[in-house]
Amino acid sequence: MKKLFAALSAASAIGLASAGPALADHTVKVGIIAPFSGPFAIWGKQFQEAIEVYVAQNGESAGGHRIEFVYKDSGGPNPSGTKALAQELVISDGVDYLGGFVFTPNALAVAPLIDEAQIPTVIFNAATSIIVEKSDYFVRTSFSLWQVSVPMAEWAYAQGIRTAAISVTDYGPGNDAEIAFKTAFEALGGTVVDTIKMPLATTDFAPFMQRIKDQSPDAVFGFLPAGPPSFAYIKAYNENGLREAGIEFLGTGEMDETTLEAIGDAAIGITTAYHYSGAHPSEMNQAFTDKIDEMFPGSVTNLASVGAYDGAHILYQMIGAVGSERTEAVDVVRGLAWESPRGPVSIDPVTRHITQNVYIRRVARDENGRLVNEEFDVIEAVPDLGLVEN
Amino acid sequence: MEADIIRHKPAKRLGGIFSRRILLDICLISAAIAFFFIFPNNLGFMTRVLVMIIMVLSLDLVLGYAGVATLGHAALFGSGAYAAGIFAVYISANPLLGLVVGALAGAIIAFFSGLILMRATGLTLLMLSIAVAQVLFELVNSERDLTGGSDGLLGIDMDPVLGLYAFDFYGKTGYWYALAVLVVVFILLRVFVASPFGLVARGIHASPERMRAIGTPVYWRLITIYTLAGGIAGIGGAVSAQVTELVSLESLGFNLSAEAMIMLILGGIGRLYGAIFGTVIFMTVHHFAASVDPFNWLFVIGILVLLVVYVVPEGVLGLPEKLRKHLGMAK
Repeated sequence: MKKLFAALSAASAIGLASAGPALADHTVKVGIIAPFSGPFAIWGKQFQEAIEVYVAQNGESAGGHRIEFVYKDSGGPNPSGTKALAQELVISDGVDYLGGFVFTPNALAVAPLIDEAQIPTVIFNAATSIIVEKSDYFVRTSFSLWQVSVPMAEWAYAQGIRTAAISVTDYGPGNDAEIAFKTAFEALGGTVVDTIKMPLATTDFAPFMQRIKDQSPDAVFGFLPAGPPSFAYIKAYNENGLREAGIEFLGTGEMDETTLEAIGDAAIGITTAYHYSGAHPSEMNQAFTDKIDEMFPGSVTNLASVGAYDGAHILYQMIGAVGSERTEAVDVVRGLAWESPRGPVSIDPVTRHITQNVYIRRVARDENGRLVNEEFDVIEAVPDLGLVEN
Repeated sequence: MEADIIRHKPAKRLGGIFSRRILLDICLISAAIAFFFIFPNNLGFMTRVLVMIIMVLSLDLVLGYAGVATLGHAALFGSGAYAAGIFAVYISANPLLGLVVGALAGAIIAFFSGLILMRATGLTLLMLSIAVAQVLFELVNSERDLTGGSDGLLGIDMDPVLGLYAFDFYGKTGYWYALAVLVVVFILLRVFVASPFGLVARGIHASPERMRAIGTPVYWRLITIYTLAGGIAGIGGAVSAQVTELVSLESLGFNLSAEAMIMLILGGIGRLYGAIFGTVIFMTVHHFAASVDPFNWLFVIGILVLLVVYVVPEGVLGLPEKLRKHLGMAK
């Protein structure tokens, strides 16, 4: 109910703000489209918390423009609904910028619209390489599967791993991860002994594990959606004795901070390559996680948080420079480099995708007994290899 | 249902009902036109409602009129959407041709799946219908080169409707286009429902055994109805693909089938108006609840569905009749 009132008063505030003439200190609105309900609601929650932390740290305005965020619920993958929401945000709410987007089809659906309406749009998550090519108004602060899978393959090869099995969930990101890992690993001279595409609805991974074990590769590269599938997969990996057999698990985003505690001790020692760990050792990240903890007790930061936090940074830079004269706003952030909670990052001036360090991490317990992804190796300044190599 | 069948018998009353219905139709169309001017900022949403009405009308034909309970209607909608989308990308971006292709795709899938589905009844049929949609879902997911898999089918760029009206980003053309298609579909269905064949459908719903006894080939009649419904759902899918310019796997998903059924039950099954009112009410409540409180709106939808199931199981359109009965008793 409280939220309802807050939303209502926010709505009336929007009405008042837009009624006034465009003053120097006027409000610039940003529409955030993300899932706030249903099975993917955690994404919207992580986005919103990170944005609110950014606002708390950096104030409500940039370059004399007050910035206001308007949230819309897209539910799950829902391109037609997302497009309608974006239309509404632009036409009736009068937003000048868009942000959010968890699912690839949702982001792709707004591409023609933001082109026509010239709305700079910051993607906080949707990770398929091609998205940023579909409109010049896209900027992305997340990652792509190529960006993290290729470093994983290279690191594995450097560790003396020569044979690997690949097991990925059979959908877009899984296919991206598979092709990226395979291409990089084989280019180095490694051998992929088997590729298993697991159906999206799989809950019992034991048969796949047995098949991998029988082929006894040095490692198994996996990609699964974060949450229950990753949980079940890791459990099967341990229970079927792959770990004892010395078949190392290599992954990317499976050890997500929001589900790590649920996986429990089974996760300890799992190696992944990723662009952000909640335990990244830097002052900036410490300040970020402390503030999250202070404002939203019990919340942790993960890839969604850092995507939204950096997304907010990009939006602040654009609005600070040009306000609602947004047509050239994307040029403001081309080549922009800054320090993010994940480490040093920059926006590639050509692809408008984020260039960032990819860290090799291992799950361990920190001094407070919490499970964290401990970074122990780094591949610096990796661009979106999917856009470079394809 | 019995009452509905009887209502068609006396020729005298038929005329009366028809004129009253035409009045209601004119009101509905006027409302749709008025909404365009009253809510110029919500055209995207209203277009989605129109598309969904086409889908729910098609489900009503199968579930409401022929009494075939299916939870796989998205298979037909999605086939239409993908067929129209792929046709637009690779062959021709003409919207009207796309509609024909969508309708054909929906009808073909309905015909062939109907050959199996219509042999089953009850729970078996329900399960099979879900299975058909799931098989198509996985097929589209695995054929990434053609369909884009879970990224969605990209690259749809429609030609202007009739070469005159380009699809604009405000969604004006999209709205008029969807409305025009809906009106045509509705008129077709109206004619069908009032035809002897429509009566056969109702007859099969009321008692397949008796229909068989009087010589109706029930199985083939059901397949015909299902194929027709497939064509209509396919048209809905095609409009959705053309207006959104992207088709995603969710157009074949279980959620869509289930939501369509909820909308139909909400409005009242076995009545064409039920499909319209149910869809409009469900999606409007959904839309406003979600925009007022994007975090807890599902709660409102839950309450709404519970209320309907407990208070008016016949759907919103059953409400006036129920009231009349109550008042009658009070006298």
